Amino acid sequence: MADKAILYDATRCTACRGCQAICKEWNENDEIIPTKQNGVKSENRGSNENPKDLAPNTWLKITFNELEHYGKVDWLFNRRACMHCTDAACVKVCPSGALYKDEAYGITGFNKDLCTGCGYCVEFCPFDVPRLEGSTILGKTKMSKCVLCTQPSLNRLDAGYEPACVKTCPTDALLFDDREKLIAIAKGKVAALQAKGFTNATFYGEKELGGLHVMYVLNDTPDKYGLPVDPKFPATATAWQDIIQPLGWAVGGLTILGLALNYIIAREAKMTKAIPGKKEKK
Amino acid sequence: MIQKNEAVVEKYSKATRILHHIHTAAFIILFLTGLVLFIPQLGFLAQDSWTRILHRIAAAIFIVAPLIYLILKPKAAIEALKEAFTWGKEDIGWLKAAPRYYFLSDEEGMPPQGHMNTGQKLWWFIVVVFGAFIALTGAVMWFLKTIAPAAVLQWMVFAHDVAFIVMGAMLFVHVYLGVIHPMMTEAWRAISKGTMSEEYAKSHHGLWYDKQMKKDNEKGK
Repeated sequence: MADKAILYDATRCTACRGCQAICKEWNENDEIIPTKQNGVKSENRGSNENPKDLAPNTWLKITFNELEHYGKVDWLFNRRACMHCTDAACVKVCPSGALYKDEAYGITGFNKDLCTGCGYCVEFCPFDVPRLEGSTILGKTKMSKCVLCTQPSLNRLDAGYEPACVKTCPTDALLFDDREKLIAIAKGKVAALQAKGFTNATFYGEKELGGLHVMYVLNDTPDKYGLPVDPKFPATATAWQDIIQPLGWAVGGLTILGLALNYIIAREAKMTKAIPGKKEKK
Repeated sequence: MIQKNEAVVEKYSKATRILHHIHTAAFIILFLTGLVLFIPQLGFLAQDSWTRILHRIAAAIFIVAPLIYLILKPKAAIEALKEAFTWGKEDIGWLKAAPRYYFLSDEEGMPPQGHMNTGQKLWWFIVVVFGAFIALTGAVMWFLKTIAPAAVLQWMVFAHDVAFIVMGAMLFVHVYLGVIHPMMTEAWRAISKGTMSEEYAKSHHGLWYDKQMKKDNEKGK
């Protein structure tokens, strides 16, 4: 089956945040709204952006970037969630196989039951997306992130539906389809934007990290939208998984082999030679 | 300290032996609960994070036990730490003679050794240096997980792993030489009971034995 993907067109997004709400609803990620009764202080952060950041129960959020844009102040909205990279660093460093590349859709799947809570994915993700729930001090944690609506028993893709965020989007800023089809659509959109005078218009996600499964049509450069301009697969992940880890197995294995060999030699010597150290007088 | 048939010398004090056993137990728990992360098929063992909790408890013991020893026996602790960093020409001689010992079980070429022979001292050096290093990198991941920059934590994971490989491989060597090697009959006795026969001390730790004798004689006078 062809890889599936989401295309987010920032120029069509009105930041209604319907996607944010439906994401929580469909995936059963409760949100506690602070009230006076339960004593949680609600904070004014000088922006309509809410919540502040991704969280174990917030897999998707719309960011608000207020900045200068083609000579005037503008408000650029962006969709922030798992990018479902083809070369996913999180999958590379996951020790238990909880994170995996989904064969059918090409997305980065996650089996929460297998998650040990080590949090390596949190550190190695080039987009800073995975979040840990639970106490890192105690060590009892689980990771949580967008799985593109493929949670067991809540799997929309297997049922033939688009992800909940795409379904709910009223302006078609979100599209879900075969990745190849979306690339063609995105290129058309960017060409149209450039023709209109948005000379910095960018198509983001075609090549980044082997190809993202969440792609972006932006009418300015990615950094204006808070996206890393040239995200890289972390070199530490390669050094760790492809060099040190195999080396560790080799060192451990050779050590045991070397000791076994020595055991044979030493036992032989003990039986045949008189050993100067411990003279057996009996 | 003379028993019926055999002249013995004290090799390790009771406090040292207790520290050794506690530290070993903690390290083996740390080793096994860490190893789980390198064998994906064993990942299910860590599923509900209980190996991670165990790893933290063992880590606390691994760090606190030597500190308690340092407080209770500061003199012995400092002397032992000095030993890890004191290397002489008997060590070079030992290293030169080591291949013959490994392949031919030939001890003749070994120069007289101190309280620890070069191999033991090498392990002790690794325990001190890599032990501190693995504790430090672990502490960063433990307490600064949500604070430290991601790049720092990436390197901590990497460094913790390097220390794990070095210490893990050397642990095999240590256990082998201590309890499995057919000719090291007195090493286990020294760490479990504290004593060693004079015979063995003379032949395996000549420098140390002579020094101890001198001390005893001076005391005797």
